[in-house]
Amino acid sequence: MKVPVLRKLVVVLMALTVVLAACGDDSGSTADGPTIRVRGQAFSEAVTIAEVYGQYLQAKGYDVELLTPAGFRTEAIDGLRNDELDLIVDYIGGSLTALAPDAATSSDPDEVVAVIGPAYEEIGATLLDYSPAVDGDAFVVRGDSPASTISDVAELGYVFGASAQCYERPQCYLGYTDPAIYGITFADTVTIEFGPLLGEALAANEVDAVVWNTTAPQIIEQGFKVLQDDQGLHPAQNIAPIISSSVLAEYGDQLSDDLNELSAAISTEDLLAWNTETDIAKRESDDVATEWLEAEGLN
Amino acid sequence: MLLGQAPVPRDIGVFEWLFDPNSWTGPDGILVSLANTVILCAVVVVVAIVTMVPLASWLAHTRRGEVSVSWTVTLSRAIPTFAVAGLLVPISLRSGWGFEPWPIFIALLLLALPPIFLNTYTAIQQVDPGVVDASRAMGYSETSVLVRVELALATSVMLAGVRVAAVTVVATEPIRAFLGGDGLGRYVRDGLGQNNDALVIAGAMLIAGLAGLTALSFRLVERFALPDGVRRLATTTTR
Repeated sequence: MKVPVLRKLVVVLMALTVVLAACGDDSGSTADGPTIRVRGQAFSEAVTIAEVYGQYLQAKGYDVELLTPAGFRTEAIDGLRNDELDLIVDYIGGSLTALAPDAATSSDPDEVVAVIGPAYEEIGATLLDYSPAVDGDAFVVRGDSPASTISDVAELGYVFGASAQCYERPQCYLGYTDPAIYGITFADTVTIEFGPLLGEALAANEVDAVVWNTTAPQIIEQGFKVLQDDQGLHPAQNIAPIISSSVLAEYGDQLSDDLNELSAAISTEDLLAWNTETDIAKRESDDVATEWLEAEGLN
Repeated sequence: MLLGQAPVPRDIGVFEWLFDPNSWTGPDGILVSLANTVILCAVVVVVAIVTMVPLASWLAHTRRGEVSVSWTVTLSRAIPTFAVAGLLVPISLRSGWGFEPWPIFIALLLLALPPIFLNTYTAIQQVDPGVVDASRAMGYSETSVLVRVELALATSVMLAGVRVAAVTVVATEPIRAFLGGDGLGRYVRDGLGQNNDALVIAGAMLIAGLAGLTALSFRLVERFALPDGVRRLATTTTR
């Protein structure tokens, strides 16, 4: 009786080996190199973005490890620096504030990239092409406001609401009130935690203007409008992948070409659509990412 | 945030900020924030006393609902204050009542009710039945038994309940700053948002200081507000 059992075991093991080997080959790609560790920042848009980049690379045959989203920009950049992560995706204007807090911000993405590119090189990472997709500051008012640009608000005596961060940033509250830029005189100010509460306060007439992000799905849902930044105060916030230089060197140009192709395909409307799916329809980020990649023919 | 006021510099020292007179004055100053916090907390504690002391005294005097009361109070202590206030804020906004004061008031009140209720109830319940019967035998009316005997003997434990409620409320009130309000919590909020550690630490010290001061002043009240007989009783029994 012993022999057949052993023989069965051997057969099973052999079958398993074949399957495993097939798995290895199945990626059908020439990509050969180290595992790419990807981790999204811990808010819904960034989680979906990480899923999109991660699943895209997986589909291209790269060896990808998608880590549980954690932390924000600081943790992402530290992860790259300490070789805990190989690929992060960040908003370029945010990267600028983190890496070069004293540098002048700009609403021109190329000017921002010119500063943060070398800064990322210093921590052993390479900034790839930025995407046309932007999630930046949005000066939001109710739909019935007569204003169409931020300058129009100057004389309206609005009550202003924003998170505590905004009140100390030259590209936010300080810029809106600076006579040399917008010179707005607000009737009052309220500090509100960043998130859906901004929309609630605006809808309830507690405030007349809030600083939100351009891809907040509630802006459309609640019938608000984003005023045009006619003085170019808001920094450029295109998303861009940043990859560990050593990993990039092992894979070569193929990896950067693949990532650049993906970045170019993402638009601001896509970000907004993803956020609507995850935040309003309460769907899972990985499903939203898979569906988008399929629809775009990228996986 | 005061209109047009420059943000607090990031490299400021904790005490440098605390000892700067400019930090204390103005509509964003510590004095105004302190007053906001103290007024809200005082109203909450007073409302809690006014509602809970009569209710608990009556229930305890008549020995009603002993089990259900203790269960209700114990469970109500498990209410997450921040979640309650956070849930109430959108409701309040949608109803046109604004950010303040209802959501934070209700959340803090829920925090203040249990200790005051529980201490009053337990204190009266544990008054020596012999003393209560004796006063009845001497011809006291039921009201007199409750007010002149039971409540008098319960004062010390009741005041301890009020102190616990007040300190808890003062220490929790700063969450208001994260819910569209101001008060002493604003320095922690602004410091966190603006990556200014000194502001966070100074704000936390102010909150802790106020909570400590509250505890201390209630201790003094407890010492001097006790009826003479009860104090003599307390000192003789503890010795």
